Amino acid sequence: MKMPPGTGRQEAEALAHDVPADRYDRVVRLAQAIFGAPIAALNLIGNDSQFTVASVGIPTGEMPVEDSVCRVTVLQDEILEVRDLREDDRFSYIPAVAGPPRVRFYAGFPVRGQSGRNVGALCILDFVPRTLGRQQREMLADLGALLERELAVQEEMELAGQVQQLMLPTSAPDIAGVEVAGRVQPAREAGGDYFDWFAVEPPDGGAKRLEVVLGDVMGKGLAAALIASEVRAVLRGHSRYTDVSDAVARTSTTTHHDLEANNRFSTLWVAQLYPSTGVIDYVDAGHGLAIIASQRGYRRLYQEYVPLGAPLEDDWVKATDVLAPDELLIIVSDGVFDVFDDSFEAAEAKLHAILDPTLTCRQIVDRIVDFAVSHAATDDVTALAVRRVAPSPQPAAAAA
Amino acid sequence: MSFEETDQGTYVVLTPEGKFNLVSAPLFTARVDDLVAADKARLVVDLHAVDFIDSSGLGALIGGLKKARGNDGDLRVAAAGSQVLAVLKLTNLDRILSPYPTVEEARHDW
Repeated sequence: MKMPPGTGRQEAEALAHDVPADRYDRVVRLAQAIFGAPIAALNLIGNDSQFTVASVGIPTGEMPVEDSVCRVTVLQDEILEVRDLREDDRFSYIPAVAGPPRVRFYAGFPVRGQSGRNVGALCILDFVPRTLGRQQREMLADLGALLERELAVQEEMELAGQVQQLMLPTSAPDIAGVEVAGRVQPAREAGGDYFDWFAVEPPDGGAKRLEVVLGDVMGKGLAAALIASEVRAVLRGHSRYTDVSDAVARTSTTTHHDLEANNRFSTLWVAQLYPSTGVIDYVDAGHGLAIIASQRGYRRLYQEYVPLGAPLEDDWVKATDVLAPDELLIIVSDGVFDVFDDSFEAAEAKLHAILDPTLTCRQIVDRIVDFAVSHAATDDVTALAVRRVAPSPQPAAAAA
Repeated sequence: MSFEETDQGTYVVLTPEGKFNLVSAPLFTARVDDLVAADKARLVVDLHAVDFIDSSGLGALIGGLKKARGNDGDLRVAAAGSQVLAVLKLTNLDRILSPYPTVEEARHDW
């Protein structure tokens, strides 16, 4: 199929701003070697700039789109070959042609994004006029197609990450008397960590509760993210109709096949909080990283159950605690704990940084996640903070 | 990660080194699959040289254990360092994969 001319400038901008390190370098190096050209590059054509995202012979970076040759290549569906840029009125004024390094020869092949529109070009440049043979033109097109596939992977992963972010709660739960905030920072575009919160209204007309969840599916990336969204959905479904013990046990039964078949397990920490009394019913399925903290100290909300998907079916009977009005419930993922070398003593030494009562829950989770990321966390990093507040018509909440 | 392997006749000792994570776990899993397929389903994983394990590493150990037990064998871990023990304890997976202090103790009835 012949693609319509026109460029995906917006798409190129998005791609250029989130280029994974080294992803495109190999193909560009190959192009440089095959053509024996001093310069080879993958350039993305954005709204006002050309972004060189991988290159040999010139630095990567940004330049005004007017000074680009690839801006013309993206308007067509075939190779643009210019034997001598100095002889071509469209390009002779370009600083790199008119002045040093006085580039003469250009050949570029347009590269499409997921939308089907061209987002950039793979190009080779030389300081002497040249002409490509038929086979060389085919080779350049083949290398361009390779890059297209790499770009498609990047875009797919980013989309998956966006879908996952959109599955996180963003608004305050429909329940008075609580403040809650959470944040996930996946190690890759998507990941196995997630958090959730929602109001649960018991069918028997009992008091409304806030359910909070932190789940961590083993592994990273898209595969872990797929399983995480299943666990999330199943737990949400079961939670509406029953207490935390039952909800977790039923989630285990429902997801068992899929976890087993994929050789994965999921830790879960699930609680229901009664805002008026502070009573917390919780189940800890191999997570182990929930605490209640205040200036008076901290205690772990921890049980000895295994994660879902382990070769052992627990009964996940809930335990109960009470969250005092001045206390904070914090749940983190092991990506945070790893930064403390998996030591509660090391983590405790940092607790004071989040126990300032003037901090909002939002600021607290930001501090935790930023701290972990700045200390070279290699895993997904997640934090969730909950506390009771004087009931008001609009309880505060935030998520990212 | 690289790992040593010693066939002791009635059991095999695998000795992974360094980080046992997303990168190294597939290598380990593939090797366990091969061994179990060759009827060598009694495995001791000597963890003394592993300085860091993450959930992918744990997953590989649990996956190996399931595979071994499914073939009338077992997978046992020995000589784990403090980080590995902390993670096993945290996730309560030590209830399934109980750590032995030494390879000798892990293989006591083999």
